[in-house]
Amino acid sequence: MSDDFRARARAWLAVNAPRRSAGDDEGAAGPTTIAAQKAFQASLYDAGFAGLTWPKEYGGQGLTGLEQIVWSQETRDFDLPNGAFFIGISMPGNTILEVGSEAQKKRYLPPMLRGEEIWCQLFSEPGAGSDVASLQTSAVRDGDEWVLNGQKVWTSGAQYSDFGAIIARTDPTKPKHSGISMFIVNMHAPGVTVRPLKVATGHSPFNEVFFDNVRIPADALIGEENKGWDAVVVMLRFERIAIGTMGGSRSNPLGYESLRDLAAGLGRTSEPGVRRSLAELYARSRGVGLFATLLREEAQAGRMPGARGSVAKLAGSDLARFAGTVAADVLGDQLAGFDSDELAAVTMMIVAAPGNAIAGGTSEIQRNIIGERVLGLAKDPGVDRSTPFNQLRVGTQRQN
Amino acid sequence: MPLILTDEEQALAESVRKFVADRSPLTSLRQLIASGEPYDADVWKQLTTQLGLAGFTIPESYGGVGAGYSALSVALTELGAGLVASPLLGCALAAEVLLRLDDHEARADLLPKIAGGELIATLAVASSAGGRVTASGSPVGPTLTGTVSPVLNGAEASVLLVAAEVDGATGLYLVDAGADGLTATRLTAVDHSRSLARITLVQTPARLLAGDAVAALSAAQDLANLALASESAGAMRACLDMTSNYAKIRVAFGQPIGAFQAVKHRLADMEKSWELGYAALRDAARAGDREPGRFGPAASVARVLLATAYAEAVVDTVQLHGGIGFTWEHDAHLYYKNGLSNKVLLGGPGDQLDRLADSLGI
Ligand SMILES: Cc1cc2nc3c(=O)[nH]c(=O)nc-3n(C[C@H](O)[C@H](O)[C@H](O)COP(=O)(O)OP(=O)(O)OC[C@H]3O[C@@H](n4cnc5c(N)ncnc54)[C@H](O)[C@@H]3O)c2cc1C
Repeated sequence: MSDDFRARARAWLAVNAPRRSAGDDEGAAGPTTIAAQKAFQASLYDAGFAGLTWPKEYGGQGLTGLEQIVWSQETRDFDLPNGAFFIGISMPGNTILEVGSEAQKKRYLPPMLRGEEIWCQLFSEPGAGSDVASLQTSAVRDGDEWVLNGQKVWTSGAQYSDFGAIIARTDPTKPKHSGISMFIVNMHAPGVTVRPLKVATGHSPFNEVFFDNVRIPADALIGEENKGWDAVVVMLRFERIAIGTMGGSRSNPLGYESLRDLAAGLGRTSEPGVRRSLAELYARSRGVGLFATLLREEAQAGRMPGARGSVAKLAGSDLARFAGTVAADVLGDQLAGFDSDELAAVTMMIVAAPGNAIAGGTSEIQRNIIGERVLGLAKDPGVDRSTPFNQLRVGTQRQN
Repeated sequence: MPLILTDEEQALAESVRKFVADRSPLTSLRQLIASGEPYDADVWKQLTTQLGLAGFTIPESYGGVGAGYSALSVALTELGAGLVASPLLGCALAAEVLLRLDDHEARADLLPKIAGGELIATLAVASSAGGRVTASGSPVGPTLTGTVSPVLNGAEASVLLVAAEVDGATGLYLVDAGADGLTATRLTAVDHSRSLARITLVQTPARLLAGDAVAALSAAQDLANLALASESAGAMRACLDMTSNYAKIRVAFGQPIGAFQAVKHRLADMEKSWELGYAALRDAARAGDREPGRFGPAASVARVLLATAYAEAVVDTVQLHGGIGFTWEHDAHLYYKNGLSNKVLLGGPGDQLDRLADSLGI
């Protein structure tokens, strides 16, 4: 059964899936690239490879984790040009599937899979990142609608998104985790302003997003009013697993294969230190990849990864950091100055590597989660779960 | 074949774990330290007759149970967690070499005895720093001269398979422990659960075994990597559990010490390294049984990840227990010493990375 699937996937990928050219960055994707990504996602859907484990009634394929494992193995050699859909499907999509209403599932899930609607995740704010429960964006009920006001920041893909999953404070008199709700917001609605932010690499993959009296319908609430934190926990769990098990493709400039070829090209593979660094990179990448496989197998066997998704997320960030040091070993002083596209691509990835340890929850936060929820250690002292939100000090601002 | 344990493997792990808890808890290692015995003969007898461990990688046609590499790995993980002293690793390496060579007589004679636990055999290969053995011809057959150190259970083995050089080529020789000119001197092993010896040979009569010695030694190295990775995985998990449990009950500054991030984050990093190493170990164990062509690099990966992670974990284990963790009475030092030894025995991380680089064609 999964052998059939493998053959089908392999045949389809060979014909339809291009390999990404060096220097392409989904963050820099312009309108034409987004159109191409939508077209590719649509073809994936038509061929029966979108939403493998999602139920058929919501546009999925109704398959099992086994096919998902096979798919991730078979796609390793390709860079599927549908990165713009990664966040929507794995985070808001999975969250709606788990805690959304029947109407929301029917309305929003199939268009995601068909490549028609792109989503973003509107959690972080200037004053609330790691401690996202300290958010200040508000949603106030007005008849059949909610009115949103506030600012989000670091929102990946907001510039081309059609919808966002946003969390806002719906009761500031309750303790911070207890007065939050999650909504679906139309990014094209009046009052939504998206402004790009530039990152260290010079690209603009993320944005700041302002909400100025944005009106959203009552049925845009995901889960229950003031119970948004439950949905946040669900989405963050999906996020860590998705990022942690994403895996590196062979064309990743900081991947083992690329750096080995780069070292060979520079004539450095005969140096014992470089050989050992490369072998260690291979070993560590295998560890990360195999752990992702193990998590999928366990899920398939009914043991859900839960907080162990944080192990995968942390391991992926650490690997990127280590790969950066290996690349620096390989490049030597060529890292300091270069005039080739190949070296530019590697250097760009080294510059981008620290972002992995911040996006999707910092490595420190992952270590807290692993310590507390995997190993069962005591919580950090001073995490406030009882004081009403409007009496707390938040972010870099003060409240009175 | 999935990486996760099959029901059978799960059952095996449980029965070995129970055996260790009942028959060979850490207190019995302390008794060995006091008595100077290399291992508990009763425990060895039960491991071989009751659980059949020495025959796991030996086919039924030679008296083994042919359970395979994955089963061996699962059992060794549990034995490693309990720091169970036994000559199993030496025996498994000797059996591996015999299976890879082409010497039917030696196989037929020795394998059934090894499988049944009646005969302790070991493999004596000199590392770059560990001496050198040369063979020379004589009218009555070859003799060996030189030293090898350290040799697993070299002082307890009754049969040794010795790698020796002749005219720049490597051969594997069968040597009887009682042969003329052979001296086995027990070393002071840093790890209390290992018995190691220096073997000195002076014109010691030996029999050259038929077959490709280089290939057989390479297979033995792969198995050694799998075995040491397995033991390290079990022992590291034991350290992680012991230390996180302590971090829940030890209070300082009004908090369980696990609430402090300096403690919590180290344990989280330990958990992360263990998970990656364990996944790599399962891959190596499966490759051993199913994809022999991939076994070498997979076993190197598991060994590199786990030996390194375990060696760091043992230091953290002592540190996070504070003063009590540095005492003789606490078990932390038993693991600390095991971690030091497992990292370097039969080729340390540098050697393994070189070997991995070779097999990857870097
Ligand atoms: C490339 C990228 C893409 C992103 N995309 C999105 C997105 O699409 N949607 C979205 O909502 N957000 C997104 N983010 C935001 C990201 O989730 C936050 O940046 C992250 O959670 C950290 O929050 P912060 O930036 O406010 O840092 P802070 O929370 O202020 O952290 C500053 C430092 O303090 C440390 N710290 C904070 N709390 C603790 C603690 N309890 N224990 C130990 N250390 C602590 C942190 O680890 C960090 O080192 C993105 C970020 C990046 C870099």
